Amino acid sequence: MEPDPPPPPPARPAGHGSPPLTRSTRYHRPRAPFCGVGYCTNCLVRVNGVPNVRSCQYDAAPGEVVEVENAWPSARFDVLAAFDVLFPQGIDTLRGFRRPAFAVPWYQRVVRRLAGTGRLPNPSTARAPSPGRLVTTDFVVVGGGCAGRAAAESLVAAGHRPVVLEREPRTSPVPGAEWFPGTTGVFLPPPRAEALRPFELIARRSDGSALDLRARRVVVAVGGYDASLWFAGSDRPGVLTAEGAERLRPVERPGFDHAVVFGGGPRTLQILERFGNHVEAVVAPGAIDPDVARRASELDVPLFPRTLLLGVVGRRSVRRVRLAPRGGGQPAFSVEADAVVLAHRRLPHPQLFFQAGARMEWRPDVGAYGPTVGPSGATTVPGLAAAGESAGAATPDRARASGVAAANAVLAGGGWPAPDPSPPSALHHELEGYYQELLSTGPGPGKVVVCPCEDVLLGEVLEATERGYRGIEVIKRYTGLGTGLCQGRYCLPDALLVLALREHRTPREVGYITQRPPVVPTALGALAGLPDDPEAAA
Amino acid sequence: MSDMPRRPYRVAIVGGGIVGLFTAYRLLRAGAGPVVVLERGFLSSGASGRNGGGVRQQWDSRVTVRMMREAVQEWRHFGREFGTNVWFRQGGYLFLATTPAEVTRLRQVTEAVRAEGLDGRLLEPSGALRYAPSLSLDGIAGATFLNTDGTLYPFPGVWGVYEAVRALGGEVRLGVEVTGVRTEAGRVVGLSTSEGPVDAAAVVNAAGGWSGDVSRLAGLAVPNVASRHEILATEPLKPFLDPMVIRLADGLYFSQTMRGEVVGGLAVPHPTGTRAGVPTSPAFLRSMSRSLVRLIPALAPVGVLRAWSGYYDDTPDGFPVIGEDPRLPGFFHANGFSGHGFMLSPASSKRVAQSVLGEKTDLDPALFSPGRFLDPHRRGEAEGLQPG
Ligand SMILES: Cc1cc2nc3c(=O)[nH]c(=O)nc-3n(C[C@H](O)[C@H](O)[C@H](O)COP(=O)(O)OP(=O)(O)OC[C@H]3O[C@@H](n4cnc5c(N)ncnc54)[C@H](O)[C@@H]3O)c2cc1C
Repeated sequence: MEPDPPPPPPARPAGHGSPPLTRSTRYHRPRAPFCGVGYCTNCLVRVNGVPNVRSCQYDAAPGEVVEVENAWPSARFDVLAAFDVLFPQGIDTLRGFRRPAFAVPWYQRVVRRLAGTGRLPNPSTARAPSPGRLVTTDFVVVGGGCAGRAAAESLVAAGHRPVVLEREPRTSPVPGAEWFPGTTGVFLPPPRAEALRPFELIARRSDGSALDLRARRVVVAVGGYDASLWFAGSDRPGVLTAEGAERLRPVERPGFDHAVVFGGGPRTLQILERFGNHVEAVVAPGAIDPDVARRASELDVPLFPRTLLLGVVGRRSVRRVRLAPRGGGQPAFSVEADAVVLAHRRLPHPQLFFQAGARMEWRPDVGAYGPTVGPSGATTVPGLAAAGESAGAATPDRARASGVAAANAVLAGGGWPAPDPSPPSALHHELEGYYQELLSTGPGPGKVVVCPCEDVLLGEVLEATERGYRGIEVIKRYTGLGTGLCQGRYCLPDALLVLALREHRTPREVGYITQRPPVVPTALGALAGLPDDPEAAA
Repeated sequence: MSDMPRRPYRVAIVGGGIVGLFTAYRLLRAGAGPVVVLERGFLSSGASGRNGGGVRQQWDSRVTVRMMREAVQEWRHFGREFGTNVWFRQGGYLFLATTPAEVTRLRQVTEAVRAEGLDGRLLEPSGALRYAPSLSLDGIAGATFLNTDGTLYPFPGVWGVYEAVRALGGEVRLGVEVTGVRTEAGRVVGLSTSEGPVDAAAVVNAAGGWSGDVSRLAGLAVPNVASRHEILATEPLKPFLDPMVIRLADGLYFSQTMRGEVVGGLAVPHPTGTRAGVPTSPAFLRSMSRSLVRLIPALAPVGVLRAWSGYYDDTPDGFPVIGEDPRLPGFFHANGFSGHGFMLSPASSKRVAQSVLGEKTDLDPALFSPGRFLDPHRRGEAEGLQPG
């Protein structure tokens, strides 16, 4: 089979009406960049024979072979997209395909063929494991944003040379720190109390190798990300998170002309500042902040506070956005738009804290779990501190202050100031009531794909609860929700809120979302190249 | 859940994994009377939700081959009986040997398999490529293959049996921990639980890796040992690998699931017992990746998506423990399934149910009975083909 022509260069993919980059696994729905930060499955391509490369994170050089995955003959016209039309209610792989007996092996072959994204890498890409490095140090700071930089600067000022891991490849180092750009901390097991350097941290590098860090103390300042939302067509090209919009739509040549921005808070303000001339409307689940309202009125952008986003209309791209005033009684209406930018909710990255065994607690303000932290950012794991969004800091100033505090916490001698758990709060997250209304209104026609990695439908989740399956862990295993390449980042936070409604419990009671390592997929070749354990050899 | 009924149960089963649920199903089908399954976690929280989904009939012992052959027939029909698809796919099992001694071992296994009427084949190294073309033959000295072995997707197995148990009137209590075994005059009369006492004429210990703990609650010393095994899944790829592959030398096993993920593990040493919980270790990620990439070099750029671990429930001779404990009438074992309890459950549960109902089973007491470990003159036979 001839390789498909290369998709448009990654920096400016899939704008208004431009072709999708790939197709989804089950229903072969068109997929174009969504998150912009390398987590979702919407921009996977095959580069030089290596499958599942996130094009939003990859600068293809001239001469590299970029191929479309999961579509034939092309991502734009994909024969198997017929499945999406033929099975409007979805394909039931759990209970369908059981009869007649003689056909079962045949079903199996077809279903198996449909699964999976990308083919095995070309044998020519086979290489020896990329040799990794062992780095021993006193202090590691994971994340080189506002908070992490502030922490690193404080540590340097105190006469240390901290190791800083920063996911972005092009960032300016903190002078005096050992700076690892393009490096993501992926696994932080619980510390070994008796060891000289109790922490072991595995990190993934952009050159395909891995690091094994041994440290005395760790500051995790890995920030957060913009969440998704459940509505009909939420997986359509043109639906983006705020980060996705920022990353993929440079101001000088935005890929959308008139976007609906969802959310009424600080992220929406940032989007208005950046793309104001290309925003059609601001829609929010609740009230809209006064400074957002002010800026919007300067830009002549209409506001729709307390409004449900029912869905988007358009098969290959967004053409209209269906909205309904909350509170019932008033009819749904549509707004012409070619994009939806989700700016309503930022969630902290909890994985490293959970892996390390830190106590996690429900934060009703964000509607998500985060580590229990004290005033200094200390977690319940001695030697592990949180800073920035991980510690609940919402503004750059607060993030910097929390970085300094975390540095002081890991520098202090004596006992570790283990934090007390926050008292349970009666607060509800804004989206709880929102989803209650959305479910009773019904999101309208079309598939509501709640897990775009695995093409899991809202109906499947609701059916599972009707059958009596309860709790996020079971629903996840029952439906496949959250088991795909993004590891549930974009569906499980909303699933918690929706399941809480269905089960008549609080989201906290619906369960914790287990975070299995690694934080992001890490190549077998990188892990294979990790150096032998020096302590095992000793 | 203070409304938990206390009685009257004919059988109370400790553990809502595949073994406990399947046992409940068999008992209810046999009309045993009221049955309750007590599970302290969520459905599939134990090994039944953490395993590799392998189903094989290649074993050292002909007894095991025979029982697994029966289980394979059951898995083939599972969808029609239980209404959910386990997607049992008979892509075969390919065992790889790296030394002449291992080749000899595999030859013996193939002889046992063929003696039971199955089409096991001993292969030259190059023959292995026919079944798994992506393998690197570097260091491979020989192989065996059995085409009716296969893999399944475990979760729908749990859901299907769970729903069948409930449809037959069985109770499955989730989030209820068994904290004690109640006895009167030297026989079982019920259990103590986190939700209060339960009365039952018979108790089945189907607690998987925790079965030793549960037996000890009843004051019974047992040789079962919980050993933690780690496992990982890669990004899902289009189908490229049909069989489950096992390398004897380091116990590496892996297959490609119906979802496209390469799922597999390899044993790294851990302290025994259930205290550690179910974490992942850097040592596992490193050795597993090295071993896998050595065997399939093309996998090097493929990402590990997630890793987890679970408990095997090991016995000294590698055979499970099925039947009534001679020291405590009314206390039945359905445990010691090592890394193979899922595949065996349709067949093992029949024997467990028979023994609870006082019927005769076809099990050799020297190999399966709980009492065998009490016998100083116990026969030396063991099931040693444990990896995968
Ligand atoms: C990594 C790994 C890979 C494996 N691969 C395979 C494979 O490929 N093929 C195969 O056939 N098998 C495999 N196995 C083994 C298989 O998973 C187990 O043998 C099987 O699931 C055992 O089922 P079970 O019901 O006995 O135990 P479990 O599923 O562990 O269920 C026992 C249940 O008992 C509950 N429990 C324990 N104590 C109490 C208490 N006091 N009160 C109430 N409830 C309690 C636990 O919560 C648990 O849910 C693997 C296992 C692991 C860990």
